[in-house]
Amino acid sequence: MSTDALDTSETAAETAATAPAARAQRRIQLQEAALPVVVVALLVAGTIADREQFLTRDNLLTVLTQASVTGVVAVGMTFVIATGGIDLSVGSVLAAAAVAGGLAGEQQSLPFLLGAIGFALLLGLVNGVAIAYGRIVPFIATLAMFAGARGLALWMSDKTPISLLQLDFVRELGRGRVAGIPYAALVFVAVTAGGWVLLNRTRYGRHVIAVGGNREAARMAGVRPQRIVCSVYVLSGLCVGIAAVLLSGRLGSASPVAGNLLELDAIAAVVIGGTSLAGGRATITGTFLGVITFGLLFNLLNLLDMPTELQQLSKGVIILAAAALQRRDR
Amino acid sequence: MFNARQHRLIAVLAVVALGVAACESGDDDDSASDSGSEDESGSGSGTVEEGETIKIAFSAPGADHGWLAAITENAEEEAAKYDDVEFVLLEGTNDSAAQVSQVEQLMAEDPDALVILPHEGGPLTPVALEAMEQGIPVINLDREFSTKSAYRTWIGGDNYGIGVSAANYLAEQLDCQGNVVEIQGLAGISVTEQRSAGFADTIEQLCGDGIQIVAQQPADFLPDKGLEVMETILQAEPDIDAVYTHDDDMAMGVVSAIENAGREDEMILTGAGGSREAMERIEQGGLYSATFLYNPSMSASAVRVARLIALGEGFEELAEPEVPSRIELTATTVTQDNVDQFIDLGF
Repeated sequence: MSTDALDTSETAAETAATAPAARAQRRIQLQEAALPVVVVALLVAGTIADREQFLTRDNLLTVLTQASVTGVVAVGMTFVIATGGIDLSVGSVLAAAAVAGGLAGEQQSLPFLLGAIGFALLLGLVNGVAIAYGRIVPFIATLAMFAGARGLALWMSDKTPISLLQLDFVRELGRGRVAGIPYAALVFVAVTAGGWVLLNRTRYGRHVIAVGGNREAARMAGVRPQRIVCSVYVLSGLCVGIAAVLLSGRLGSASPVAGNLLELDAIAAVVIGGTSLAGGRATITGTFLGVITFGLLFNLLNLLDMPTELQQLSKGVIILAAAALQRRDR
Repeated sequence: MFNARQHRLIAVLAVVALGVAACESGDDDDSASDSGSEDESGSGSGTVEEGETIKIAFSAPGADHGWLAAITENAEEEAAKYDDVEFVLLEGTNDSAAQVSQVEQLMAEDPDALVILPHEGGPLTPVALEAMEQGIPVINLDREFSTKSAYRTWIGGDNYGIGVSAANYLAEQLDCQGNVVEIQGLAGISVTEQRSAGFADTIEQLCGDGIQIVAQQPADFLPDKGLEVMETILQAEPDIDAVYTHDDDMAMGVVSAIENAGREDEMILTGAGGSREAMERIEQGGLYSATFLYNPSMSASAVRVARLIALGEGFEELAEPEVPSRIELTATTVTQDNVDQFIDLGF
């Protein structure tokens, strides 16, 4: 597994701000080692339980496709949580973005893409401005957006889904394949890779961690915390917009009730991945593994036609175990 | 140039843009506050006209999906047809306690009849009883109160009957042979349990072991959940003859999953409820072959019934001079053969 270690060879001031964060970052290692074990265990258990279907290329690609929506959203969520924030609005914003896209382009793909991603960015900006400049606690600001954006989605759509069957490009993005690999899976992997580079290899990523670790120290080191905080919600909005496009493409419609409880799935994946809810340490690799863990679990229990309560129960156990691991780690 | 829904998008964009601009112009100072762009109410409280008329008050859960939206709309439209009806509506919430206070508020307006679709039957029963004691006749719509004395008349659909109708239809279509997948609604509520039980019981009676229910998963009445669940089931089951879904809206996600996998010729699918989109698909023929009515027109009927009760009249077609105490709608099977009769009722 890759090490999400920080490259600390920057200016002295920055190093001062990011050094504690770098130390925190190293503590993620144990969890990052533990999660692959969980994933492998799930793969083994799945192969034993269902010899025919589970470990086929087709099924694993289905897992990746299904995980793509939560996965893309979780990448944005990682940045938000890295600053010590939270974004409860992702599910509602996803629905609102899909509806906005559908209204912008019922016939053509380009207006749909611009509409969906643009609207998600805009709502993300509202979150960001409210939190960074309006000084509203992230939990409350995004809770307001959670309610508000769902209301917008229902109101703008008149509570009826908008059919996107004529949008060939969007449909292709949701269901098409290139060289046997679904586009949705490719987008998911690409966004994850992009997120990894942004977090671990850029000055911006270091600033995000620094602000989450110690806002005052970061400020003194010349980072502008308000800008960073605002930007992560916009970034989260961008990811939600991309996810809205992927989901709408697969669904063939823009549904105002889509994305229900998506925020909890995304937060759960980020947290079991090892990103600290307190901020200051974050791992995209962990988030990816977290998303895959839940994806495999859903897929396997569903393949075996297990009752839904068992899915929820196992999800709870995994979250609790990961949290316990995080605690001991500290 | 733009349709009504697009106008709403434009309105939202304008408000948000103004709000963000206002906040950001304050840049690094503390004074900026969030814009009011986030909340937007639908229609507010109902119409209040004057005159000596029949006042019908209406309370239902928040209209967060197609069926409930249609329930509220149909009731409003039906009431508007009568000159002598004054209709009082409070936009609902999905919280029983909030609905209780809403009903109390409506009772304070001293209506001649009260139509209630409770979010949950049990918690709303006491307040309905109280209304009945005060002499306000309560028309219980769809989800039932826990005691008969809490309503003057109950009117609703037949959830168990949907399962029965679906089983009859699929048994005939499949000649009692084949694999059926069941995509359920929200786990743990009576609607889901009854739709499931009606289906399982009837399939068993009709076909014994001939028809196997090979997979049974809830998708919470949500299209995106239906899509995900069905994608996996398609992986697991190489041979599916029919899919029985508990809801038309949710079924659209299931349909997408099947079409995305290119397996639409392998199986048939049935919905439930009677949405317009579902009926249009049934009309076209193909994968979506039937739905079973659980029609939100029942709220329009409830308004009519409320009016009759307030007037102290009965149905002309019945010998009795007053309205019956229970009216259960039929889970009519809608297929390509009869869809033209029902498509106008689609929501």
